[in-house]
Amino acid sequence: MDKIRIGIPRSIHYYYYGDLWRCFFEKLGLDVIISPKTNREIMERGMQVANDEMCLSMKNFLGHISYLQDKCDYIIIPRIDNYGVQNQTCTNFLAIYDIVKNMFPSSILSYNIDVAHHETEEKGFMEMGKQLGFTKKETQQAYLNAKASVQNKKQSLIQQNLKKLNSSKEKVLLVGHPYNVYDEYIGRPIISFLEKLNVEVIYSDLFYSSITGKMSKQLSSELYWKFNKESIGAIPVVKDQIDGIIFLSTFPCGPDSLVNELVMRKIELPYLNLILDDVDGMAGFETRLESFVDIIQERKRKYA
Amino acid sequence: MKPCYLGIDIGSISTKGVILDENNEIIRSLYIWTEGNPIEAVRNLLDGLKNDLPDCYEIKGIGTTGSARKLIGLMVDANIVKNEITAHAIGTLSIYPDVRTILEIGGQDSKIILLENGIITDYSMNTLCAAGTGSFLSSQAKRLGIPIEEFGSMALESKNPVKIAARCTVFAESDLIHKAQLGYEKKDIVAGLCKSIVLNYLNNVGKGKKIKGPIVFQGGVSKNKGVLKYFEEILGEKVIVDPNSHLMGAIGIAILAHNNADGKTYDLNIKNITFETKGMECNRCSNHCELLKIYKDQKLVDSWGSKCGKF
Repeated sequence: MDKIRIGIPRSIHYYYYGDLWRCFFEKLGLDVIISPKTNREIMERGMQVANDEMCLSMKNFLGHISYLQDKCDYIIIPRIDNYGVQNQTCTNFLAIYDIVKNMFPSSILSYNIDVAHHETEEKGFMEMGKQLGFTKKETQQAYLNAKASVQNKKQSLIQQNLKKLNSSKEKVLLVGHPYNVYDEYIGRPIISFLEKLNVEVIYSDLFYSSITGKMSKQLSSELYWKFNKESIGAIPVVKDQIDGIIFLSTFPCGPDSLVNELVMRKIELPYLNLILDDVDGMAGFETRLESFVDIIQERKRKYA
Repeated sequence: MKPCYLGIDIGSISTKGVILDENNEIIRSLYIWTEGNPIEAVRNLLDGLKNDLPDCYEIKGIGTTGSARKLIGLMVDANIVKNEITAHAIGTLSIYPDVRTILEIGGQDSKIILLENGIITDYSMNTLCAAGTGSFLSSQAKRLGIPIEEFGSMALESKNPVKIAARCTVFAESDLIHKAQLGYEKKDIVAGLCKSIVLNYLNNVGKGKKIKGPIVFQGGVSKNKGVLKYFEEILGEKVIVDPNSHLMGAIGIAILAHNNADGKTYDLNIKNITFETKGMECNRCSNHCELLKIYKDQKLVDSWGSKCGKF
């Protein structure tokens, strides 16, 4: 019998679980197919099937599903509700499994994360193993092995990110969801342009989340979105070491529109708010990024 | 020969050119419509400026700014190409050194620039939506059958500006049609529109910013007396509009061209240089980038738009 092929969409969850999933399935001896980096074709496929009220990131996700639908046996899509009380995710993280199930004929491999009701990541992985016909022992072994190898990688990425704070270049904290920031079509052009302007980009998701989650209270103690709390929590941690902040979000992201607005009113550093929609022309963004970098350079010179 | 410096600000609606002398005083200036063709507009602009320029001057620097700055920068071989925020701030600072807030509403963009001790400390620009900018005003003026030049003074006659939804151009437009059909006077509608521009600006671009005096208002819309009146009324502070408020970007970039001059002399005679752009879709990968190739005298000088950077 051929090996079971598991499809991983290179969007949304991929940027939190991609490595862990890949390791886990490979340890179980399955084939893993990851959709390619977002390109225009994938984005357009997503736009065609998406509802017009979905955010750009969701449209993108559906494009990746569309790409994978006839290339694998299962597509993995978890259903994530929360990581504990006051640590919720965006409603799309909960809904996306059902949305895909209603739109595509593909078989979906899924598990729930609802920590407030004792549905943890480990339990979810055990569930998947069972669905795929592995024993408890095999699954647990694969999960623990995968977990250990991923942790090291994450640690070193965090260290690299923190090291950038010592750079002599202009330093900008990029606050945004990793599935936007690292996406080839959404955030990548922006980061490349910033690098061309010789700016050191520090990523808000590459911090120790146990610290940033707590630090977000300095900006607001009432937020309950885990990922937003962690990304804005990086601001109080590094505020004295950076020159400016860029908020990057996709239109019309609900949590970002609330959290970023709130934070912008409370910070003293120069900031830039970039909201990406389906716009192909980079000219508008280049103007904004270029003048933002001009400002932080001027300030640095003046107050050095 | 005396040196002078040319600044060109190519906006979506209008193209502005300024020639400054050694002391950054304006020798010549020109304001023309871009009409969707920045290349042709700049040819006409240079023609107009050249014919007007006394023989004793030679151009020692050219700067370009505005949304077509890159394209035109290539065309005229500019020694500096800078974004309009920096250019506007420098232009304004040369006339009002202690300015704290610059309000700018142009054809497609609106922005606010905050300064302290002569340096920019913060700025904000409208999102890519053009609500509440000059292009909205001019399309509404057309709809109402009023020349845009008379729009402002007509607004001043009104005592009861109608309330118009300021959040979004589409809603504003349907509000406006509705009010007109209900029978409101034209001048009250015009005044309402001017007020909605100000409210939209302060709620969007100016949101959360501490607006301190001296305040300078510029960009094409600053010529509209109605909008100016509501800015002063709502901010409760004097708002300065310079007679050259429409030229600030061009002045700023001319000053930067002056500061960056490298001894080269420029010729404004570009009539016989051919300058063409060709758009094409690249099919080498699934990105299908829209490439724009720029030819100067039939030679490929640059190409833009590729995500991979191969072109």
